Amino acid sequence: MYINWALNEINLKVVYYGPGLSGKTTNLIYIHKKLDPSLRGELITLSTKEDRTLFFDFMQLEIGKINGKVPKFNLYTVPGQVYYANSRKIILNGADGIVFVADSQKERIDENLDTLLDLENNLIEIGTSLEKFPWVLQYNKRDLPSAASLDVLDKKLNFLGVPSFESVAHKGVGVFPTLKELIKNIIAHIRVPA
Amino acid sequence: MNAEKGGNGQSFTLSGEMYKDVAEVLSDLASKTRAKSIIFADINGHPITQRGRASDIDIPNMTALAAGDFAATVEMSKMVGETQRFKYLYHEGEKTNIYLSSVADNFLVIIIFDTDIALGMIRIYTKRTIDRLEKILELAKAETKQSSEFIDLKFTKYLDQELDKAFDF
Repeated sequence: MYINWALNEINLKVVYYGPGLSGKTTNLIYIHKKLDPSLRGELITLSTKEDRTLFFDFMQLEIGKINGKVPKFNLYTVPGQVYYANSRKIILNGADGIVFVADSQKERIDENLDTLLDLENNLIEIGTSLEKFPWVLQYNKRDLPSAASLDVLDKKLNFLGVPSFESVAHKGVGVFPTLKELIKNIIAHIRVPA
Repeated sequence: MNAEKGGNGQSFTLSGEMYKDVAEVLSDLASKTRAKSIIFADINGHPITQRGRASDIDIPNMTALAAGDFAATVEMSKMVGETQRFKYLYHEGEKTNIYLSSVADNFLVIIIFDTDIALGMIRIYTKRTIDRLEKILELAKAETKQSSEFIDLKFTKYLDQELDKAFDF
């Protein structure tokens, strides 16, 4: 977080975290596509030749003035592949809130859990934890036939009872409600830290 | 500036006075080096201010990439047994060069300049600029404004409706 009192600006960092191919970049692409260009910057994607995230994606978004103050949100994704553990740590540094994008498919539940534990370890390294940090869960790919039930996903992944959302990111379902809830959580956390 | 505890300890605030001082130091560097653009950002890539004559550079994107660039080399320096992070990075292009340097561990200065400007000159003036910036940042540590002062009740109240407006499709 960075606050500039001279310009009445607050800059916050939001990170989309989750296993490979869960739909983190897809969330950003949809936000970029739907938002009025006056509210967002260009989307940067640092990808491999196969279109997998190599380092991160980035986009800045603004939502207009609030009581004379300008909040700016810097949205990042991390690379999901296990191989890029160091890159995830780098991107997580300085984050103010996290959207954990889980893949709803039954066969990917363990990968979701492994990535959640990877997130917890990285949070501990920067002096916080999943209990103290503002984050929300997004169950993506709800349209796939092999999607696990919400009950199963909640039991496996949402053991801390954070806000959770169903999504089909490529169609935009659940994308903005997830981001909105996270932003509200971040702001509440700044006012009253956990 | 005030590095606050809690969260991941990375937040800071910048007062109006300090912002003015930083901007003045960067303007000085811009006029001495004739650099296209001089950008000051925090180590997490949040842009703070920019000076110079280039208006076509996307500043938030540039600072996000520069912070990623820098952070990657910090990890690389650890891998080769360096105890300190690399002090600067230099990218040489056909027409334009980019010089990045860390400032007081938590900030970055990015200098974008034409290739006909000597790197030596950029390095000397940037070093002096960093010394000045570090003094300003050191003095500012005494300030005690908390981020919770910025996010007051009114802000929280109106946030919801602004989010609805922006995300209304």
